Amino acid sequence: MADVILFFASNADTMIATKALKDAGVTAKMIPKPASVTTASNLCLSIDAGAETQATAAIAGSGVALGGVLK
Amino acid sequence: MKMSLQTRLLGTIIAAIVVFFLISVIAARITMQNDLGTLGAQEVTNGSHAFGGYWTSHQDQIKLLVAQDALSTEIRKDLVSGNLQALQDEVANDARKSGLSWLTIVDPKGKVIARATGTTPGSLAQNRFVALALTGKTVSVAASLPSTELAGEGLADQAASDVKGPDGSTVEHVTSGLSLIAAAPIADQNQRTIGAVYGGVLMNHVYDIVDEASAALGGQAALLEGDAIIASSIPSPGDGTRLVDRTVAPFATVAQNKPFDGTDTQGGTAYLVHIEPIVDDQNKVIGAQWYGVPKARIDDIINNTTRTLVLWGIVAALLALVFSIPIVRRLSKMLAERSIQVRRAAKELGVVMVGSEVSGDHVAMTKNVVEQSGAIIDELAKAGDPTGKVAQLKGLNDELSNDVIVIDTLSQEMSTRMQQAVDRVHELNDVAGALNALVTGEAN
Repeated sequence: MADVILFFASNADTMIATKALKDAGVTAKMIPKPASVTTASNLCLSIDAGAETQATAAIAGSGVALGGVLK
Repeated sequence: MKMSLQTRLLGTIIAAIVVFFLISVIAARITMQNDLGTLGAQEVTNGSHAFGGYWTSHQDQIKLLVAQDALSTEIRKDLVSGNLQALQDEVANDARKSGLSWLTIVDPKGKVIARATGTTPGSLAQNRFVALALTGKTVSVAASLPSTELAGEGLADQAASDVKGPDGSTVEHVTSGLSLIAAAPIADQNQRTIGAVYGGVLMNHVYDIVDEASAALGGQAALLEGDAIIASSIPSPGDGTRLVDRTVAPFATVAQNKPFDGTDTQGGTAYLVHIEPIVDDQNKVIGAQWYGVPKARIDDIINNTTRTLVLWGIVAALLALVFSIPIVRRLSKMLAERSIQVRRAAKELGVVMVGSEVSGDHVAMTKNVVEQSGAIIDELAKAGDPTGKVAQLKGLNDELSNDVIVIDTLSQEMSTRMQQAVDRVHELNDVAGALNALVTGEAN
């Protein structure tokens, strides 16, 4: 299954989301921000497309605002 | 010089207690001086009124005794029969039993028929009290008798005295005498006046009234004739004998037939006094009743209460210190420990910051190396890749480059955050230093 990219408003949010996904059992890989994404953060998270629902729920529970999803 | 927190706290506690008790003592003294002053004045006034009661009672007693003699059947019979010796014995006996200074019988013309003192008979026709009695009236008055009248009753020596001033020197020679007098008519069976009884008590150097008043009322009492003390229970300084034949400061209000309330010093003792004028039958002031309570009695209460307050104040201060010293020490110790903890944390965080900076530099160098490696792989790929290994190597290098970029970004992010934390800790360090200075009193 293809990966999806989750991006956030800041690097700090990205780090918190990484920890939240790890705690929720979702495998996420931190990658540099693709050129097509417009955000202040330099980092993004790459996850498996099948885990997107679980990932967005975990991120919402962590109090971090999800900036967007690139599929 | 800076003081430690412990010294400041204990000093504040002690100062607060001292100020509290100073204000309490001052307020208590002012209140007591007002209230006890009023109470003392009341006591003196009441005592003086009671002293006046003794005086009036004495006067009534003399009037009664004289009136009884005037109604005596034996005296009337002896007067009518002209039995002068029996009359003489009668009045002498009555005067002795009743404590009168003199008791005299006169005929209707005022000629002395018998005297209790047995002195030379003469005439009392000019005596206004006897004259009134011979008109059928009973008289009871206070009077200042001149030496000529006293001499007739053999009392001149009792009244005569040298009055001394405050310095002990004789300021006047007194010959008159303050007396309580009564005179009553003697009537026959037909109610015709056949003579009169004239008697009284010379108060000079007679101490019954002042002693009775003093014993019953608790203060000191004195009788004044003019400005001279003629009888008193006031003790003299030194030997403790009666203070008598001494002048007192003239009191203008008393001379104007008004009582005086205030302070007066007699025999070296300050008294709260009430002085009541004594007037004769012409309403002329001839003397005064002096009644006083030692001022020291009130002052002693005030001083004793003040001493008690101060003593308990010291006890309270000591107790407060006993309880507060351990608390202040514990508080100071706790603050000092927290201060040290914060300083240690700041120091350790400084080391972490250095480590973060060093590791950030190392990541930057690694990133640079990976980028150089990527450039070489790109050149190799241009030269041809018959085995496909160069493309495989490029893929791995790209992935490594991405990871290094992520690590570098994270490192920079952490470095920024760490710097902010260090700034906060520096502030905490300053607070800790101020706390330490407050607790120990030492600047650092």
